[in-house]
Amino acid sequence: MDNNWLYIGLFFLVAPLIPALAILAPLFLAPKKPNKIKSQIYECGIETYGETWIQFKVQYYIFALIFLVFDIETVFLYPWAVAYNSLPLFAVFEGVLFIIILLAGLVYVWRKGDLEWV
Amino acid sequence: MTGMDSLFLIFAVITLISAFLVVTTKNLFHAALWLIMTLFGVAAIYVLLNAFYLAVIQVIVYIGAIAILMIFAIMLTQRVMNPSGRIFNKNWIIAALLGAFMFIGLVIISMQTGASKTTLPQISGQLDTVSELGQALVSPNAYVIPFEVASVLLLAALIGAIFVSRKR
Amino acid sequence: MFGSINTSMILAILPEIMLFILAGFVFVFDLVWDDSQRRNLGWISAGGFSLIIMISLMLGTPGSDSGLVWGGMLRHDWLGFAFKMLFLFGATITALFAMDVEDLGKKGEFYLLLIFSTLGMTLMASSSNLIMLYLSIEATSLPLYILAGFFKDDDKSTEAGFKYFLFGAMASAIMLYGFSLLYGFSGTTDLDAIAGVIKAGGMNPVLLVGTLLMILVGFGFKISAVPFHFWAPDVYEGAPTVVAGFLSTASKAAGFTVLIRVLLTSYAPASDTWMMVLAIISTLTMTLGNTLALAQKNIKRLLAYSSIAHAGYILIGVVAISELGITGSIFYIIVYLITNLAAFGIVSVVGRITGSDEISAYDGLSRRSPWLGLAMLVVFLSLAGMPPFGGFIVKVLVLASAVKAKLFWLAFVGILNSIIGLYYYLIVLKHVYLYRSENEQVEIPVTRPYAIGLIVLTIGIILLGVVISPWFNVSTIAAKVLF
Repeated sequence: MDNNWLYIGLFFLVAPLIPALAILAPLFLAPKKPNKIKSQIYECGIETYGETWIQFKVQYYIFALIFLVFDIETVFLYPWAVAYNSLPLFAVFEGVLFIIILLAGLVYVWRKGDLEWV
Repeated sequence: MTGMDSLFLIFAVITLISAFLVVTTKNLFHAALWLIMTLFGVAAIYVLLNAFYLAVIQVIVYIGAIAILMIFAIMLTQRVMNPSGRIFNKNWIIAALLGAFMFIGLVIISMQTGASKTTLPQISGQLDTVSELGQALVSPNAYVIPFEVASVLLLAALIGAIFVSRKR
Repeated sequence: MFGSINTSMILAILPEIMLFILAGFVFVFDLVWDDSQRRNLGWISAGGFSLIIMISLMLGTPGSDSGLVWGGMLRHDWLGFAFKMLFLFGATITALFAMDVEDLGKKGEFYLLLIFSTLGMTLMASSSNLIMLYLSIEATSLPLYILAGFFKDDDKSTEAGFKYFLFGAMASAIMLYGFSLLYGFSGTTDLDAIAGVIKAGGMNPVLLVGTLLMILVGFGFKISAVPFHFWAPDVYEGAPTVVAGFLSTASKAAGFTVLIRVLLTSYAPASDTWMMVLAIISTLTMTLGNTLALAQKNIKRLLAYSSIAHAGYILIGVVAISELGITGSIFYIIVYLITNLAAFGIVSVVGRITGSDEISAYDGLSRRSPWLGLAMLVVFLSLAGMPPFGGFIVKVLVLASAVKAKLFWLAFVGILNSIIGLYYYLIVLKHVYLYRSENEQVEIPVTRPYAIGLIVLTIGIILLGVVISPWFNVSTIAAKVLF
């Protein structure tokens, strides 16, 4: 274990401090003059319109699901790509087969209409 | 106690406390955030075990995709803002006893067989882990069959999960 | 460090490659066809599975050597090959039965998930490495979780899928922990090498038993042995009946394959340790399955408890740790697969027409549809162990192996449980043949693919009981591999 990981550890210690500072600083530095109109909830600069808690769109979930599967595919492809130069020819075909199988997944999701946003 | 041991202790404590908080927090969203903390702790332990690639995968896949998916799923349920329901049901004493029993069993096993005293084998710095892994993944007398089966499994999971979560 | 791929390696995974190509075909046709033509996917799947069986029997049978291929990941031998053909047969029949079920037979996803699950099972049958084993178990289980919850609008089906997934994931996690501890303490993931380490005394007995117990959690879940059986009644009741049939037969057979292989390859040097554990599990499974089946009013739950009991009988053969015992177990699994598939097939069609899965819905079935009543008679008598059906000869074999291994108490428990089992099977047959109902004249329409499947199965049950030697020889060759 060498010093590079210490840098990451240092990063983890310092990185939360900066947003924390950004959030906590106004507590001390900002003037406190609350006013009834200033404290109202607003939406895009005007008053709220309709219900505030709406049903979450399921499409977000489906996109995250598809992303997950392709992310795991990427994880398998990284080592193959790193070792690419020292691989014989059929190993390239094996990697391409892997990609084609997951490409079939993409085609399935596309043709069944799960990539539509609306 | 060497530096590595004390680092391991810190990360193990962080992981365990976060894991405990995942199952005991009332607010479901907070539970997901504590899970992210747990997964970071596990990634740190992977680094201590010299499994650098695994640590990176852990962060990218587990935290970057799976934990986000969980948060989306939580937001799909309607009561995310009202912590409701009891966390423990009436069997929690038996479950705690069983868990403690298993833990003590594992500790006894590891102490008896000296598993707690082994040291981490040193890997020579010339070993390029990721490249070796890549070659092993596509070599016919290593792991090529699990590699391809994993892709089929991913495809099956994709088709199945999309089928279940599709709108009617 | 790189090997090369030669023909024998390709022939070893010929069924898997062909299953993969079949999945490709079904996939393409599912995307190209529209709803009216999608039912033909069932013919393609069933025909494809049968073609794979025939081509594998012609080209891919294992030779006389024991054949570790693909870097020690897979083992090409008769044990794996016989089970592969069995799984493919089960999948053919399931595809045929499912073709005319509403919401099931017209969905391409059903056939795709069925093919993927069968692919996982064929890999399970020939795995020889812990990593391959775990991967193939997951590749089998994941499509089955979805298939159990396939009817998205039905509450029972989603509950079944959810329960199966939750318990299955938990059992899988514990099993994986056992695998990783086994790897850690023995230093290798290869099943034969682990046996070598245990034989040389390289592993502490406490660790041996600990890892074995954890691995048995996973395997016990798949074969629904006590105390890991509690998912079976709810899942079988809620899942679509055709899927419950596939689950209770092929998935359980796959679980038995890996159980037999791991226990008799890796843990073989320590067989005295686990024999008693497995004998107790077998006793509890048989007894619990049979006694709880007595109280059931829903036929799917009754069949679920009956299949739990049958898992107990099969375990008797495994406990005997002899060639006769494993032969008996393998033969029992073959007969059990055919019989239970037929049972769930009959339940599927009667449940669809009458709309109910209670036993009272079967009143007067023999008058409504004499052929279905006859099929039910054959199936239930075979399950009870009556000659001349297949169920009789395999029970004799399994109990004989227990006696030969001096486990007289186990054989006695088996006989006692068979007697209890006979009671509830005969109760159902009483409803079918003796009771009358007011819908007697309403016919039960049976479609062509379903009829083909059921006729093949019924003839198979009778054939297995009468013409014993081909199947017995296959089971013996498969069992010889392990000794």
